[in-house]
Amino acid sequence: MSSYQVGLGWNKHYSKIFNGGMPTTPQQLSPVEEQEKLLDEALATVKNEAFKMKRCLDKNKLMDALKSASVMLGELRTSLLSPKSYYELYMSITDELRHMELFLIDEFQKGRKVSDLYELVQYAGNIVPRLYLLITVGLVYIKSNQMFRRDLLKDLVEMCRGVQHPLRGLFLRNYLLQCTRNVLPDVPDSDSDNPEGTVKDSIDFVLMNFAEMNKLWVRMQHQGHSRERQHREREREELRILVGTNLVRLSQLESVTLEKYQKSVLPGILEQVVSCRDAIAQEYLMECIIQVFPDEFHIQTLNPFLKSCAELESGVNVKNIVISLMERLATYSQRTDGMSMANDSGSPMGVPMDVQLFEVFSEQVASIIATRQYLPSEDMVALQVALVNLALKCYPDRVDYIDKVMLGSVEVFQRLGLERIEYNELVAKELSKLLKIPVDHYSNILTVLQLKHYAALMQHLDYYGRKSLSMYILTNALDSETVIPSQEEVEQALSLVSTLVTDQSDQPAGEVDMEELAEEQSLLARLIHQFKSESADQQYLILNSARKILGSGGQQRIKHTLPPLVFQAYQLAFKYRDLKAEDDIWEKKCQKIFQFCHSTITALVKAELAELPLRLFLQGALAIDQIAFDNHETVAYEFLSQAFSLYEDEISDSKAQLAAITLIVGTLEKISCFSEENAEPLITQCALAASKLLKKPDQCRGVATCSHLLWSGKTLASNKQEMHDGKRVVECLKKGVRIANQCMDISVQVQLFVELLNHYVYFYENGNDQVTVQMLNQLIGKIREESPNLESSEETEQITKHFNNTLDHLRARIENPETDGVSYEGIEI
Amino acid sequence: MKMLVLVLGDLHIPHRCSSLPAKFKKLLVPGRIQHILCTGNLCTKDSYDYLKTLASDVHVVRGDFDDNLNYPEQKVVTVGQFRIGLSHGHQVVPWGDPESLALIQRQLDVDILISGHTHRFEAYELDNKFYINPGSATGAYNALDNTVTPSFVLMDIQNTTVVTYVYQLVGDDVKVERIEYKKN
Amino acid sequence: MSFFGFGQSAEIDIYLDGQESRKTAEVKMEDNKKERLLLYYDGETVSGKVNISLKKAGSKLEHQGIKIEFIGQIELFYDRGNHHEFTSLVKELARPGEMIANTSYPFEFSCVEKPYEVYTGVNVKLRYFLKVTVVRRLQDIYKELDIAVHTLSSYPDINNSIKMEVGIEDCLHIEFEYNKSKYHLKDVIIGKIYFLLVRIKIKHMEIAIIKRETTGSGQNIYHENDTIAKYEIMDGAPVRGESIPIRVFLAGYELTPTMRDINKKFSVKYFLNLVLMDTEDRRYFKQQEITLWRKGEKTRKANLQSPLVATHLVNSDADRAPKPEEVPVLEDGAVNEISEGIQNMTREQGDGETQKAPQTHE
Repeated sequence: MSSYQVGLGWNKHYSKIFNGGMPTTPQQLSPVEEQEKLLDEALATVKNEAFKMKRCLDKNKLMDALKSASVMLGELRTSLLSPKSYYELYMSITDELRHMELFLIDEFQKGRKVSDLYELVQYAGNIVPRLYLLITVGLVYIKSNQMFRRDLLKDLVEMCRGVQHPLRGLFLRNYLLQCTRNVLPDVPDSDSDNPEGTVKDSIDFVLMNFAEMNKLWVRMQHQGHSRERQHREREREELRILVGTNLVRLSQLESVTLEKYQKSVLPGILEQVVSCRDAIAQEYLMECIIQVFPDEFHIQTLNPFLKSCAELESGVNVKNIVISLMERLATYSQRTDGMSMANDSGSPMGVPMDVQLFEVFSEQVASIIATRQYLPSEDMVALQVALVNLALKCYPDRVDYIDKVMLGSVEVFQRLGLERIEYNELVAKELSKLLKIPVDHYSNILTVLQLKHYAALMQHLDYYGRKSLSMYILTNALDSETVIPSQEEVEQALSLVSTLVTDQSDQPAGEVDMEELAEEQSLLARLIHQFKSESADQQYLILNSARKILGSGGQQRIKHTLPPLVFQAYQLAFKYRDLKAEDDIWEKKCQKIFQFCHSTITALVKAELAELPLRLFLQGALAIDQIAFDNHETVAYEFLSQAFSLYEDEISDSKAQLAAITLIVGTLEKISCFSEENAEPLITQCALAASKLLKKPDQCRGVATCSHLLWSGKTLASNKQEMHDGKRVVECLKKGVRIANQCMDISVQVQLFVELLNHYVYFYENGNDQVTVQMLNQLIGKIREESPNLESSEETEQITKHFNNTLDHLRARIENPETDGVSYEGIEI
Repeated sequence: MKMLVLVLGDLHIPHRCSSLPAKFKKLLVPGRIQHILCTGNLCTKDSYDYLKTLASDVHVVRGDFDDNLNYPEQKVVTVGQFRIGLSHGHQVVPWGDPESLALIQRQLDVDILISGHTHRFEAYELDNKFYINPGSATGAYNALDNTVTPSFVLMDIQNTTVVTYVYQLVGDDVKVERIEYKKN
Repeated sequence: MSFFGFGQSAEIDIYLDGQESRKTAEVKMEDNKKERLLLYYDGETVSGKVNISLKKAGSKLEHQGIKIEFIGQIELFYDRGNHHEFTSLVKELARPGEMIANTSYPFEFSCVEKPYEVYTGVNVKLRYFLKVTVVRRLQDIYKELDIAVHTLSSYPDINNSIKMEVGIEDCLHIEFEYNKSKYHLKDVIIGKIYFLLVRIKIKHMEIAIIKRETTGSGQNIYHENDTIAKYEIMDGAPVRGESIPIRVFLAGYELTPTMRDINKKFSVKYFLNLVLMDTEDRRYFKQQEITLWRKGEKTRKANLQSPLVATHLVNSDADRAPKPEEVPVLEDGAVNEISEGIQNMTREQGDGETQKAPQTHE
């Protein structure tokens, strides 16, 4: 830069004092070192000139002081400093300028003319020092005489246009903003012309400064080489606060009323933000507006603000801006909730009645999505997420609002042509998030079911997404123990989680992970217990519907989902029994229910299951016996005979067979509804089955178990009392001994004998007179005879213990005979 | 040494119930219990996994509705000075009959015999042996009993004494009873 | 004044009426020194007394007559000794005779015409002076007294603003506006530069005030350019749509009124030179003549209190310009409409420091 030789004539000495210093020449250093060196040099000059300036001021030599100030300010003309270093330099210089300001204020209070000085400093040849001085003097001028405030502010902000260099301009204007912060007019507008200015003048002033600063800031982006872009953007980030301070200043004006904000402040800001067409600026400034101005204003200016959002550059993360505003207002409405009185309009507290917070956001979000083609789809969904959050916070009762968002989201996907979104895509994550919100918030699947468009929206997730969400919904319903009380809602609920209920067209082919399937089906199965109507008839309809829907799930699924239905049905039958006084046809209904159960269990049989249906049939038989409706004996018989068929036809594993026959016997032992003609074949069948077991020990144990059937079993013939058929009990046990005798393995044989001995003892003690002391002695003798032949082993030891325990038991009985108890005379221990 | 042993069974999830009562879940916090003895009818792996979160030492016998063939029919576990026998009980005919259960006690040679199946809590001494039926932790349906109350048992074993606490969910309240058993 | 040490001699003093209260003006003299001279305006009477005091008391001074002249003259420095008098008035103070005692003679040039302003330039000087001569046989005794003359003008009837679109095709295209074409010497130039097209990277912009003194005629014409002021008005690179304010206070600079063809001997003209410098130190400039005039003193001070702000040009018609749009300098491809009214600017290579007198191309 050249130095300027300014002026001749009478006040040449005035103008000469403003000759700026030459920028220093850098040497070969690393960039960081170079910056440090340059800054140090500049700061040294500043220190030096500031010292001179202050000394001149002390001596009251203003002209010389101005000259030093000008040289000092000349350092700000540099193009060599990074924003950070420049900032440091700026801080140091403006700090020193304070001395000048204080001196001048003092001078003017003593009566010095300000206007001359305002002109005088304008002789400075270089614009940067000139404008810093002009601002400094202008501020003093305003402070000394308010009558020119308005004009001076206007002049200063206008003159600053002369600095078009972004960095220098930004700092210059920042200085202007800092200097004027306490002198901005802050009184309401009046009709009369007020040279001191009103808030309108302050608004104009700051808005202009803001617009110019923003332009400079934006311009930085387009300077230099494109490969330095990242570096530039970082520098811009560092400087953004300078631009934002303008907005802070506006927010600090007390006379900026809502009306002012609506009519001039916000439109002014938005116009600049939109027209600057720079993504970084737009994103920052929109966020700034949200943070800086009060929520009361935001609420009343949603439309213009959001409309502008739609017009922002494609690179702008509009989503974040809108969400930020929504979250703020949602919080605001909640915060004021506790403080203000309730209003009747149903609008959230703190939100004026005429502001339809949700509607406005909903509409504007839709328009943003429609107009911003490059908005990533996940952002579109994120906006919907925010809308839902807003609605839930501000309008917790308005389920229709949530549904509206669901519909809106469906429309978005339709417009985008997104049928199915893959699980791992970002948008799928957002969509899942969106769909989970109502689930979490309501923790009530019934409310979620009220959302008519929820299911449709869910359909845009792919198989994995739907499955995962379905499980989420189910888990929530289970955790919150929501009862689903009607057939219709049950159907809806199952349809909602249909991905788990039936095979899906988009289901990946191949092996199914059975453990995973078990886990998900278990959730579904558990939910069935929450299908509960107060009315038994309704409950029946529910079960029927659920059966139809779940029945279509295929073999792998029904294994999990049908048993709970069967148990629910059994419970319903009990309910009808309890209602017998009120319901004339309760027995018919019970029959129907057991038909339902029968067919449901049969479906499991058809799915090539055996043990499970067998057990369910047995459970049915128990229930039927208990409920004792008309014709129940036949039905119970049918259930038991079905169990037998399964036993005979389907169960082949010997261990399973023993388990099954044991269970059948145990069950039959509890059933008392059979007449002789039904009881006898069943008992015989049990004994036969037991004796036909493959392994001898199993046969022995099976037969022994059957013996109890003949003792404590009840039939119509025994008047539903224990039949105590001692003779046949003993026959059974004898058969057991025979089978045990056939065992080749002595250790097994002895074990079986000890077990049989216990059964004998059991019946003996229970008063079966067919069991004699001789029988016991015989068995004890047999065991004693064989025991020494056993090889010593852990097993043998167990057998011995068992035997000893049995003898101990007998001994105890002998020593302490029960009154009216049986006699133990003659037992040889 | 003090040992806490959780005894429970007959959950029947998901066949007959959707879940453990929330109040029970609240009581059962991980880290307090050393052993879990389960009388069976967990029905799903989920339930087993849940128990595993409460204590690492979990013993399960097979109930009539358990699919898992790896669960044994009977099991003896030694805790402190006690031999504890564990069996679901559906194999014992008549179901829940004390004298029939005594047969198992003698066979297993245990101090305490734990069984389930009836969904009804029991704790009694017979011939100096202790018998516990923790009932159904979920209060699962039982055709033979219309008044099933959800219950489980916590045994506090110290030396030769077992203090048994039974937790029952009556209405909305958890009631606790204490029964002491001393080994001779 | 005596050659031989004998004979009478006398001293001449010229005393002007009211000289204690009369305003003075600083006038640059030939040796670049400045003197304060009494200030007269056109048509003002120049009157006073001539005091002649004898050096030797009691001796008489013989003379051929005493006269006083009022002379306005132009000196061209390359033509020394050849003075062009445009005004020459003579009054006889005494007839030839003898002077015995100190004598005082009143004189008066009433309502004398003073058509030009005093001026001292590089090649030319215009001065007014009174000359008293005591005519002697051998050696005249004389005394000269310079006075300052300022030509006052009234407000020009027509004083249009200067507004012009200038540029270099596809490179730079600006519109500048100065609020007047005629400025008085204590005036303020207010204006603005509006950037219509910018495809160069501008470093800064300044306004220079250039004085051009022209002497001679025909083949012997001489131009002297003197840069009176250089004033930076913009720092950094503007983009299309930017409007930069200009405000230059003239009072601080040594200026004279514009002089046109003074007595067919010389002219003094002033130009505003708008100079833009790009980052490669190329200069783009446009000169525009302005007329300077001197305003009567009394009317000044009108805006003493208020800072010069409200009449700002850029303020007053900020609405006129289309909304400035932010377009990056390097990406501007849209503007191609250079209207016919645009005049060329001058582009020069160089460092800007060794600037020759710029030429206008019109």
